[in-house]
Amino acid sequence: MDGNNPPLPLAGIRVIDAATVIAAPFCATLLGEFGADVLKVEHPVGGDALHRFGTPTARGDTLTWLSESRNKRSVTLNLQHPEGAQIFKDLVAKADVLCENFRPGTLEKWGLGWDVLSQINPGLIMLRVTGYGQTGPYKDRPGFARIAHAVGGISYLAGMPKGTPVTPGSTTLGDYMTGLYGCIGVLLALRYREKTGCGQYIDAALYESVFRCSDELVPAYGMYKKVRERHGPHHNDFACPHGHFQTKDGKWVAISCATDKLFARLAKAMDRPELASSSIYGDQKIRLEHANDVNEIVRDWCSSLTRAEVLERCNATATPAAPLNDIADIFGDRQVHARRNLVAVDVEDLGETIVVPNVVPRLSETPGRIRHLGPRLGEHTDEVLKEVLGMSDEQIGELRAKRVI
Amino acid sequence: MTKGARSAKAASQTVIATEGAGAQSSPPEEALAQLASEVVSEGDTLTNEASASPPGEAASASPSIRSGGAYAVRGPLPERLSEHDRLPLSGIRVIDVGNFLAGPYAASILGEFGAEVLKVEHPIGGDPMRRFGTPTTRHDATLAWLSEARNRKSVTIDLRQKEGVDLFLKLVAKSDILIENFRPGTMEEWGLGWPVLRAANPGLVMLRVSGYGQTGPYRRRSGFAHIAHAFGGLSYLAGFPGETPVLPGTAPLGDYIASLFGAIGVLIALRHKEKTGQGQVIDVAIYEAVFRVLDEIAPAYGLFGRIREREGSGSFIAVPHGHFRTRDDKWVAIACTTDKMFERLAEAMERPELASPELYGDQRKRLAARDTVNQITIEWVGSLTRDEVMRRCLEKEVPIGPLNSIADIFNDEHFQARGNLACVEAEGVGRVVVPNVVPTLSETPGRIANLGPPLGNATYEVLRELLNISAEEIKNLRSRKII
Repeated sequence: MDGNNPPLPLAGIRVIDAATVIAAPFCATLLGEFGADVLKVEHPVGGDALHRFGTPTARGDTLTWLSESRNKRSVTLNLQHPEGAQIFKDLVAKADVLCENFRPGTLEKWGLGWDVLSQINPGLIMLRVTGYGQTGPYKDRPGFARIAHAVGGISYLAGMPKGTPVTPGSTTLGDYMTGLYGCIGVLLALRYREKTGCGQYIDAALYESVFRCSDELVPAYGMYKKVRERHGPHHNDFACPHGHFQTKDGKWVAISCATDKLFARLAKAMDRPELASSSIYGDQKIRLEHANDVNEIVRDWCSSLTRAEVLERCNATATPAAPLNDIADIFGDRQVHARRNLVAVDVEDLGETIVVPNVVPRLSETPGRIRHLGPRLGEHTDEVLKEVLGMSDEQIGELRAKRVI
Repeated sequence: MTKGARSAKAASQTVIATEGAGAQSSPPEEALAQLASEVVSEGDTLTNEASASPPGEAASASPSIRSGGAYAVRGPLPERLSEHDRLPLSGIRVIDVGNFLAGPYAASILGEFGAEVLKVEHPIGGDPMRRFGTPTTRHDATLAWLSEARNRKSVTIDLRQKEGVDLFLKLVAKSDILIENFRPGTMEEWGLGWPVLRAANPGLVMLRVSGYGQTGPYRRRSGFAHIAHAFGGLSYLAGFPGETPVLPGTAPLGDYIASLFGAIGVLIALRHKEKTGQGQVIDVAIYEAVFRVLDEIAPAYGLFGRIREREGSGSFIAVPHGHFRTRDDKWVAIACTTDKMFERLAEAMERPELASPELYGDQRKRLAARDTVNQITIEWVGSLTRDEVMRRCLEKEVPIGPLNSIADIFNDEHFQARGNLACVEAEGVGRVVVPNVVPTLSETPGRIANLGPPLGNATYEVLRELLNISAEEIKNLRSRKII
């Protein structure tokens, strides 16, 4: 992506990503974007299920795989085979970070538990992601993001009041959020290790990541027994208007007036500044008490104009408003282009250019990079075994014959 | 790290039980006695340290936070050197000059892991987050503020006055990280643009969170999470096909996600600074953070022109994969991501034939017959209570979970066992239950030292001790409302 590549902040850090699908692997993805060498260790047959998650491409791997396995090197290894387990230990000895998401007890069963691995490499940082965490009564239950959204309390809140609860936008949200928390844990642990030499593991549960991001849901129940319910398109507990409104052309806009000042701007955009007077709806408390009336006024106004017109008027008075963008809107948006949020990467062996979301966050001096998209299964097995473990072609041939790799 | 240090950590976060708001597995007195036995005095080497090794015992690695049975209760944490030594961010000073959550939550995380966080606020009223959400007995604190402004010291400085700006720059010179979320251009108007800040502190790491980022045509627009969810493509996807798009669960989700990306940026930049001495700016747009986590939505449009629509309670990936109503009018989520999972569900339903290759054994067949497969699941789930559906599915290891309300969560044994609910004493309010630290680190678990501070509670201390300003001068600044 960049011409003169300065050394990245995580150059020299080796990450083993022995995990599957999205949560723990996304942590490795983030580390890889900022310079870590990420070895994707996969089962020789089929590999990470992410190869098959989502829309397939002509190469066989899905688009999700291509996008989210960016910058990784794929190494096949059968951990259930004793020789595979030994090679894994040898790799761990030369790594800084290990990401995994097996069900609790699985690695232990293969003789690759934390006690064994931390003996081999006392500075090892191990990210362990599961649905429910490594401890507690539900630790052995299977968990996916959808289950985590439900258990963590977010699914209960998405949908029309008393209606069927819906997916909170995206089924994989909890996976990504856990990858983010996991990455924070890894970076903290790296820093601590560099001060003390001491490694550690991070115990991340999918449901906890979702649950943590619940603003005052917890203290409000703890103190007042307030149970938040589904709000549909409007959340008027604290601010009004704050919701989705349909425009004349059948599209939708989001409008949010968290403060009185912002409502005054909206009133101005609607050419009805008097609505923001103290005797009418100038005060948030009054608006909250009359949320239905206020929403009705905004709804009527929005439905009398096209989306473009509503946004133009809101932007003219600096009212917080935005279109509910579908992905086509996003591809056509000039802010998205100005920020280079979409990046087109050639995948040579597919003969296609794939558009993927660019690196977030954006660092001014050491920006992250996408060097290549998801590799083919085992594409780098030989290269890594030679480079990291000093193996010969013969050794590698034998391992392959025995289906260890 | 010494054993003594670990003991001190345990002792300083002494746990006592309380009659918290939720259901208790044991009466308060009993729990108190049980938990009191975990209290370790400083210097005592007999701690839970050993249990940090076997993964199965992780809970006891951080006894205070992850205590079982009842909520962990902590008073204000006494300052101890040993405590600081064993946190990854000890010795790091963060200035959080943001409002609400987008950005400030990154400071909360840094604070949980040992950084000293100075919340710099306007002398009159402070962060508007203090008034956002459910009020408490304290006029300067809602519940949202108490929970999310954890581990901070409040310092009042008026950045709209020249002397305030000078004071702020002195503080920046003595800090490592600065977090802000004003509308792009605002800090520049106050004379606090990056060149000025960098001159004051060349190693400064600055996190800037805004609705649309520091660049691009929309940079000056105000943005909140609600707006960013819409612009970033998440809101369009929440709801039933062709119907009203609903909020994706919670209103400030994007603020949290942007802060998580921001915290990662800060930790990476801190590492770079410690190696090279060079500071930098991290520019996070809330909409970008939301857009980044939408799996393959971008490549699928880019390659095939496919526009993802609202999917109700389901998902394009797999069937059955959604929310189902039980006989007692509750809801469960079931996620048969793979054929194996569906086979288990068919067994739980006592209809193993459904998973045969001729019927619905193959995901592609299930996707093609989405309505039929969903209907079978709807009918089966609807014929049983939630407890019964859960029991049968768990027996066969089907991925299933209840759609928990917050009341369900307070009653859940797993939340209790993981210590996800922390009960912390808030000055002037009493005990408040808040979500505990995420993620859980085995050797250096984070901590909640205090909840949202009173406005300006550390102004004097910070000006006097950190900036060496005389008591008289502080009084003078105060009288002129600069602090």
